[in-house]
Amino acid sequence: MAEQKTIRFKIRRQDGPDKPSRWEEFDIPYREKLNVISCLMEIQKNPITAAGAKTTPVVWECNCLEEVCGACAMQINGQGKQACSALIDKLTQPIVLEPLTKFPLVRDLMVDRQIMFDHLKTVHAWIPIDGTYNLGSGPRMPEVTRQWAYELSKCMTCGCCMEACPQVNARSKFMGPSAINQVRLFNAHPTGAMNKHERLAPLLDEGGIADCGNSQNCVRACPKDIPLTTSLADLNRETNKFALDRWLRK
Amino acid sequence: MSTTQKPYHFLIRRAHSLLGLVPIGLFLTFHMFLNLTAHGGAEFYDKVIGTMQSVPGIFIIELVVIFIPIAIHAIYGTWVVYTGQSNVLRYKYARNWFYIIQRISGLYTVVFIIIHVYLMRFVEANFSALSAFLSQPLGLILYALGILFAIFHFVNGLWAFAITWGLTIGPHSQKIWMYAMVLVFIFLSAIGLANIAAFL
Repeated sequence: MAEQKTIRFKIRRQDGPDKPSRWEEFDIPYREKLNVISCLMEIQKNPITAAGAKTTPVVWECNCLEEVCGACAMQINGQGKQACSALIDKLTQPIVLEPLTKFPLVRDLMVDRQIMFDHLKTVHAWIPIDGTYNLGSGPRMPEVTRQWAYELSKCMTCGCCMEACPQVNARSKFMGPSAINQVRLFNAHPTGAMNKHERLAPLLDEGGIADCGNSQNCVRACPKDIPLTTSLADLNRETNKFALDRWLRK
Repeated sequence: MSTTQKPYHFLIRRAHSLLGLVPIGLFLTFHMFLNLTAHGGAEFYDKVIGTMQSVPGIFIIELVVIFIPIAIHAIYGTWVVYTGQSNVLRYKYARNWFYIIQRISGLYTVVFIIIHVYLMRFVEANFSALSAFLSQPLGLILYALGILFAIFHFVNGLWAFAITWGLTIGPHSQKIWMYAMVLVFIFLSAIGLANIAAFL
């Protein structure tokens, strides 16, 4: 048999939020069509470093394994990506895995993305349809609107845009592009548009849309190809109109 | 999560954007064109400066149209720089480079303007004084960089201005506007560097 081909991984390990971080390297036997998660599963089965030392299995998060849940977002070769859709055959080696830097670390590659869900609450990223009586059917959504709104709805709150955004960091309260994109999505919906103001108002606050720095990394980092910069620019127009109108009506 | 309403945040950011064009960007453009008079020779240039300085109420105009807007834009802009964290080594995109250059050029321009105003307003403002300053290599570099960075900051800021005010929304219109800005940058830079050349 020919010499076994291997895949070299370099993984940033950290046992807990307040523990020091360290690098560990692993060699995984090569197979065709592996992704980063299947390699992490190999490490889980056999947690031995490339140097032959026994170690703990690498901790990471994953769920759907088909790039729709966002749970397995991590830095792969320096950029935020989904580990499930990161194909080994397309990556340069050694494959460097690190946790996302914009969220509190839990352990190894696992971070707490709670802040993103808090931002969704801040901007009211839902359509209120519950009442004490039957509200009946809502207005119809034009097909042309549905087509582009569907693209916005693909967001899985993975955090790749937050990771890529220079304006999202410990010194800034910027909520990042994903929550702002949801405002455009729900305001485009004919029923959602009835509560437009509840979503536009939080965008005027600190951490809202005005904190965008136009680096436009988000739109390139988004694994779902959501036109984030278009949503930001569109909501710039909408928030300008909203703020001026609200002020003039005071 | 509590949503503490800070109604001035949005207003300050939008005012910061607007001030960059009106009056600062317009003043910069006017300034570049006015300095072309240096090609008319020392005597003519000094006469133009003298005329400008004898405009009635020039001090008030300078204060309201130039000094205060630039001071507000610079002070708030420095805060904006502080709240950013460049990641251009991980995300090597052209726009991400422009993001960091916009901040570097802004900070440099603040330092440059302080030196420039100190020399022109409080030391000596005439052709021979500037000519002597630009004859030193460091003085020349300071000015050439100052002019190019100030123009870059204005032009790249104007690109973002169109997004901030919701004018260019899609990627195509943003790209077309960027091409227009490249032309403006080349045009203003040529004038700016020609201004320097007049003093050499």
